[in-house]
Amino acid sequence: MNDEEMHLHFEELKKELDGKISDEQLMKELNVYLNEYRVTAEAAKRGIKRKYGADGLSSFMTADTLSKKIEELKGTEMNVDITAKAIYVDRKQITVRGNPKTIVSGILGDETGTAPFTIWEGENVDLEKGAVYLFKNAYTKLWNDRVQINLGSRGKAEKAEGVRVDVPERTIIADSADTKIGDITEGSGNVTVTGRIMSVEERNITVKGEPKVVYSGIIADDTGKIQFSAWNNYDLKDGESICVKNGYIRAWRGIPQLNLGDKCDVSRVDDSFGEIELTSSKRTVAEIILAGGGLDLSVTGTVVDMRAGSGLIWRCPECNRSVLSGECTAHGKVEPVADLRMKLILDDGTGAISAILNRKDTEKLTGVTLEAAERLAKARGDSEIVAREITELMIMKRMTVTGNVLNDDFGPMMIVSEAVTESINILAEAERLYNEVEAAL
Amino acid sequence: MNARETAWRLFSSELNSATYEIKGVDEKSPSYVVTKLGAMVNRVLIAGVLTEKENVGSDDEPMWRGRIQDLATGNFFINVGRYQPEAAAAIADIDTPAFVAVVGKVRTYTTDDERVFVSIRPERIVKINEETRTQWILDAARSTWDRLIMMKKATSAEDISEKALIGRGFNERDAKGIVTALDRYGRPDSTTYLKSVQTALRTILPDKNIDLGLPEDMSDMPDEIDIEFGSSGSNNAEIEDIILALLEELDTDGKGAPRDELERRAESDGISSMELEEISNALMDKGLVYEPNLRYLKRI
Repeated sequence: MNDEEMHLHFEELKKELDGKISDEQLMKELNVYLNEYRVTAEAAKRGIKRKYGADGLSSFMTADTLSKKIEELKGTEMNVDITAKAIYVDRKQITVRGNPKTIVSGILGDETGTAPFTIWEGENVDLEKGAVYLFKNAYTKLWNDRVQINLGSRGKAEKAEGVRVDVPERTIIADSADTKIGDITEGSGNVTVTGRIMSVEERNITVKGEPKVVYSGIIADDTGKIQFSAWNNYDLKDGESICVKNGYIRAWRGIPQLNLGDKCDVSRVDDSFGEIELTSSKRTVAEIILAGGGLDLSVTGTVVDMRAGSGLIWRCPECNRSVLSGECTAHGKVEPVADLRMKLILDDGTGAISAILNRKDTEKLTGVTLEAAERLAKARGDSEIVAREITELMIMKRMTVTGNVLNDDFGPMMIVSEAVTESINILAEAERLYNEVEAAL
Repeated sequence: MNARETAWRLFSSELNSATYEIKGVDEKSPSYVVTKLGAMVNRVLIAGVLTEKENVGSDDEPMWRGRIQDLATGNFFINVGRYQPEAAAAIADIDTPAFVAVVGKVRTYTTDDERVFVSIRPERIVKINEETRTQWILDAARSTWDRLIMMKKATSAEDISEKALIGRGFNERDAKGIVTALDRYGRPDSTTYLKSVQTALRTILPDKNIDLGLPEDMSDMPDEIDIEFGSSGSNNAEIEDIILALLEELDTDGKGAPRDELERRAESDGISSMELEEISNALMDKGLVYEPNLRYLKRI
């Protein structure tokens, strides 16, 4: 590197190091970095600044940082720079291991899309709504199939002065679309829903230390039903129909719930649903996976497997958790109580879902009672034998299960409230298929 | 979220005529055998008559092979090793012939002369009654017919890209399967699959004079798969030694031997990828090798 270039870097460093190092030493360092080790000027300057503690140096990075647009984020980035507009900003107090902590969260948007963000060290962060920021050294995660942007202790949000970011209107979440209840998924965001109140009750809860009354219940239309929570008193009554504008959907473990928050507008309407049946809504597994979960759903499929933890299990008498070798994770050594359950895998050709069946349904479907199961396990000195026996009885059974569907790491999981075996009229169905095929050929 | 792969109901005629497999690299991208009708099959639910079974392993380390006839002329081929303990225990107790149902993963296997066979590794195999078997035939016929209709619908338009299909209301899985199938095999000959549907309907409704107006000759069914596993103990030990030597040779940077390289080299030594997997699993059980990550295997 020629002297002129060297000198430019020298001057720059000298200014930034501001007397932390003598001129001779700085020149020597530069020489070592650039001429002996032949690293790039950029790396040399960073190295020297770090060594002598210049101000304003961002934290140490090992991996290359990439700059990405929101649409390009995959949810697996460990270190990424994002320039985007803060569409919505919220400060929250949370408690981490007993200590209060401030986090800043909200929504970021650029020309390609929007994504929620969280700044975990939010104490001294002050983001201005509508301003553009450079989120440096952020990391991303996937949550419910949506990318989330996070800034940890290594990250920083810097105001990007002079940078203009236009967020297309449609991606701003505030648009509230007319939505049928049956089409609501956990990612539905803001919605306008017309439905009939099937039940409502008053609950007293505590929010941020303040007592609050929330009105919750079930609202239904001709396509399905959903739990709702109203955070203000709209004087809702059983059987009346309302139109909720700007309600928002939040999911709890995959079950979408309709919230009537401060921004929503509730009006009484006449509906045309006729008689709404309070029976469960029939779905395919693929539809359930798409929705993420749901309340009181019904699905028909074939039992293709039984998951571990089925059969004869033991529960803590205090808390009902299942225990292994008489040791409860919460209550220590206990005298466990025997129980029966099945974790079936039901497959309907469009997908597979786990279904958890309680003792009553397990006994009904297998004909094996808890007492018989205990006797069998005792006689063989092996409690796994029960699971093996009932697996053989259940596999290839066609059945319809009904219940609430949550989401866990294994995909959708139904807590079954009702289970019946299905028999179909094979001959009639075969003739139906024959007619269909003949008509099409 | 990692939802469980669905179990496809299809006839052996469709499964066995598939020759293309999308190989997965890790748990998050599973392998799929793509059929000519566009089914992306990782797992199947099949039923039929277990006509033959043979333990080509030993009593201690059973390796069952079996043949399950679904319709008059078609067979599924199954392989049960000791890594499918429930299925291995179950098949040992089933006497042939018997109506059985199998839930399992599919694999392709390529012979030296480049012929591709599909076999099933059962996770579960159970005895069923004739009614359940008949019901399965109906399900598989319905499912085959639905795929035929879907393929017809897909190919009725000009633009048959994944994006266009999704835009026309196909779900992502079906769109990908159809586009991949058309890309690999071209438009399917629907007669083969209609024949399966016809045979199925004749089986269920023997008294109805079912006639879909198809030519009556028998379609070509694939021959029996003859996958040779290192069956005897000594043979296995020999292969283990070869693999161990390969692992050392291919471990050039201390990270372990790259799987794909290992597979290529093993194949040139006459060890199939299925065999390789059996053996490397066995070596892992013995604590002789481990996986530093999914793409590498390393000697301890």
